[in-house]
Amino acid sequence: MSRSALVGIAAIVAFFGVATPTFLARRWQNAASVRLEQSEQEAAASAGSGEQVAVAAEADENYCTPQLRTILRRVLTSCGLIGASGRGCQPVQARSVATMSGDDFNALFLPMQGRGGIIQFDRDSADLEEIDTALLERVFADRQGASYFFVVSRASPEGNVEHNRDLSRARAEAVMTHLQNEFHDPELNQQVGLLWLGEEFAQLSQSFCDWTRSDGAGTCDPNTLNRSAFVAWIDCRL
Amino acid sequence: MSLSRVLQGLLAIFAMAGLFFSGVSTSDFTAHLDRQTHGLHCSFIPGADTPDVTGSSGCHATLMSPYSSVMRDSIWGGVPVSLPSMAVFAYLVVCAITLLLLGKETEKRATGYQALAWALPFLTSCIFGYLSLHELDAACKICIGIYASSTLGMVTSIVAFARARSGAPLAAAMKAAEDDEESMVETLTPRDESYGISLASLPTGAEDTIEDRGFESPVRTVNEADDTAAPAKRLRLATASEMDRRLRAGNVNRRKTAPSGPAQTSWGALALAFVVGLAFVLIPVGAYAANAPNFDHFVGACGTLAHPEDAGHVLVPLGPQTREATMIEVLDPLCPSCRGFERRFSAHPAAEQMSRKILLFPLDGTCNWMVDGAVHPGACVISEAVLCAEGDADEVLAWAFEHQEEIRTETTADAGAAARMVNARFPSLRSCLGSARVQAQLNRSLRWAVANQLPVLTPQVYVNNTRICDEDTDLGVDYVLTRLLSRDLGRGAE
Repeated sequence: MSRSALVGIAAIVAFFGVATPTFLARRWQNAASVRLEQSEQEAAASAGSGEQVAVAAEADENYCTPQLRTILRRVLTSCGLIGASGRGCQPVQARSVATMSGDDFNALFLPMQGRGGIIQFDRDSADLEEIDTALLERVFADRQGASYFFVVSRASPEGNVEHNRDLSRARAEAVMTHLQNEFHDPELNQQVGLLWLGEEFAQLSQSFCDWTRSDGAGTCDPNTLNRSAFVAWIDCRL
Repeated sequence: MSLSRVLQGLLAIFAMAGLFFSGVSTSDFTAHLDRQTHGLHCSFIPGADTPDVTGSSGCHATLMSPYSSVMRDSIWGGVPVSLPSMAVFAYLVVCAITLLLLGKETEKRATGYQALAWALPFLTSCIFGYLSLHELDAACKICIGIYASSTLGMVTSIVAFARARSGAPLAAAMKAAEDDEESMVETLTPRDESYGISLASLPTGAEDTIEDRGFESPVRTVNEADDTAAPAKRLRLATASEMDRRLRAGNVNRRKTAPSGPAQTSWGALALAFVVGLAFVLIPVGAYAANAPNFDHFVGACGTLAHPEDAGHVLVPLGPQTREATMIEVLDPLCPSCRGFERRFSAHPAAEQMSRKILLFPLDGTCNWMVDGAVHPGACVISEAVLCAEGDADEVLAWAFEHQEEIRTETTADAGAAARMVNARFPSLRSCLGSARVQAQLNRSLRWAVANQLPVLTPQVYVNNTRICDEDTDLGVDYVLTRLLSRDLGRGAE
C-alpha cells in the first residue's frame, strides 16, 4: 500500500478518534437535557396532586385525639398560651374549661408517662431540692418535637383550701422560675402552661406512683403524691 | 510480528482501556446534568455490578469533589476532567495505529513523541491519584482504571522508545536478513536511489560493502556494530569507476532496499502531530461547553427563609462574621453530603466573601423527632459537641467530618460510642456533653427549622436568605454561588 494511502487511513482514524469523545459527550448531555425536561414536567404535575417533600414540623403523636386537642386548646387558651394574655389557670378555670371530672382530666395525661415526671415537694413547701431540679431539667431537656410543656401543681388535702391553692401556685411558679433561670429560652412563655389545682380538682390517684418521681425512693401515698408538680411535654399540634 | 509492533498493539489496547474508563466517568458525570441523583458505576468492570446509589462510594466522593471538573463558575458542573482524558486516550489510540500504519514503530523521534504524549495522562494520574487518596480519602475504582491504563501505557511507551533509541530492532532485523540470501544486498543510497549488487557477481571476499564517496552504506554501520557476529569479514571500498563498470556490466541490480529502519520523522511532522493532539482535546471540550445547559433560571428559585432571625442563638458562627454576604447552612455533622459540600465550598473563592453560620440538624431520631430511627447514628451527640465547643465549633466539626464513617459505625454497634469518642478527643467538652442545657439548645435548633418550615434533609444552603436548590449544592455549587453573589452585590450597588 502506498504511503499516501496509509496517511489517508491514518487521517480517517484520527477523525474518528476526535469524533468519538465529542459525539459521545454531546449525546450524554442531550440525554440529560431530555430527562431534565421530563422531570420538570413530572414535578409540575405532582405539585398539583399534593405530593410534597417532608417539611420540618412539630411532633404529633397518636394519642393526640380530636377530644384531647379540643381540651388542650381550651386549657391553653384559658391559661394564656394561645391568644389570651395572662399566665396560669386557677383551679376553677381548669375545671370549667376541661368540662370533665378530675379522673377523666388526669386520664388525658396517662399516654405521656414516658414524657413526664412528678416533682415532689416537702409538706407545706414550694422549694425545689437538687433531686427535684435534676428531674425537672431532664424532662424539660427531652422536649423532642413537643409543642407544650405542662406544669400541673397540686397540694395534699392537709390544711385549708385557700392555703393549698396558694401553695400549689407557688409550686408551679417555682418550677417556671427554675426553667427560666436554667434554660434562658425566650420562647418559654409560649411553651409552658401552668395549672395550679390546690386540693380542689383532679387529685392524683395511686396509679401515678408508677411515674418517674423526684423522690422515687420514698413512699408513695396520695398525700405525698399530691404535694407535687406534674410536668410533661405534650406532643400534639394544635 | 516484531516486538516493536507488539508494543504498539499493547499501547493501543491500554489507550482504549483508558478511553473506556474515562468514557464511563464522563457518562456518569454528564448524567447529573439532569439535576437528579444517580447511581454510579464504581467498579473495575463497569456494568458488571449494579450502580452504587448510596452516595458512599469513592467514585461518588471523587465525582462530587472540586477536582472532578474545571470551569465550574461559568458552566453548571463545569467540564468534567474525564472528557479531556477521553480525548487524550483517543489521541493515543490514533498515535499507536498511525505508527503501525506508517511503519514508524521503530523510529526514535516518533516513539519518543509517543512516550511524551503518554506522560500527560500518566502525570495527570499521579496528581489525581494523590488528590484522591490524600485530599478526598477516597478510592475511585473507575479512576484507578484510568491510572492503571496510564501507567501501563507510560511504561510500554518508554520501552518502545528505548528499543527504537538503541537500534535493537534494526539490528535484529538486519541479523534476520543475513540469513536470507535475497536480503543479503548491499545498499547504496545516493540521493534518492538505492542500488544493490548481487553477491554472486562479486569476487570472493568482496561481498560485504561497497562504498564510494557520495554513497552511504548503512550496511557498514551494521557490520561495525556487529563485528563479533562476523569477525572474519573484510571491508573493501569500491571506487566510483568500479561501480560504474559493474553497473554497465549489469552486475549491479536495482533491488529493494534492505532492512534499514524507517526514515526519521521530521520535526515538522511532530509539530503537526502536536497540533492534532491539541485539536483532539479542544474540539470535544469546546463542543461540550457550547452544548452546556443554561441553568440560570434555577438560581434563587427555591425560596427564602421565612424567619431568618436568631433570637434563640441557635446558629453557630464559623469563621469571620464581618463579611457582607451571609450564608446559613443546615447540616448534620455526620452527613456525607454535608462533608462533600464543605469541601466544595471551602475550595471556592466565595468562601472568603461570606459570613457563615450553621444550623445543626442531626438526622438522628435520638433527638430529632422528624426522623424515624437514626439515619446517621451519633449525629445528636456530635451536634451537642459542636454546640458545647462554642468558639472552637469549627474544630469539632472538622474532626467529625474527618471521622464520619468511624463514628457512625461504632455508634451503630454501641450507642455510647460517639460520646466516648468526643470525650477522648475533646476532654474539655465532657461536662457539657449530654447536659440538659445543650440538649435544649439543640432542640431549639431543630425548632428553628420548624419555624422556617425547612425540608427534612441536609445540607441546605441559604445565601443572603435565598436558598440554593438542593440540586445545586453539589456539582452546581460554584455556578450558583457565583451568580447569587454577583446578583446580590449588583442589588447592593443599586
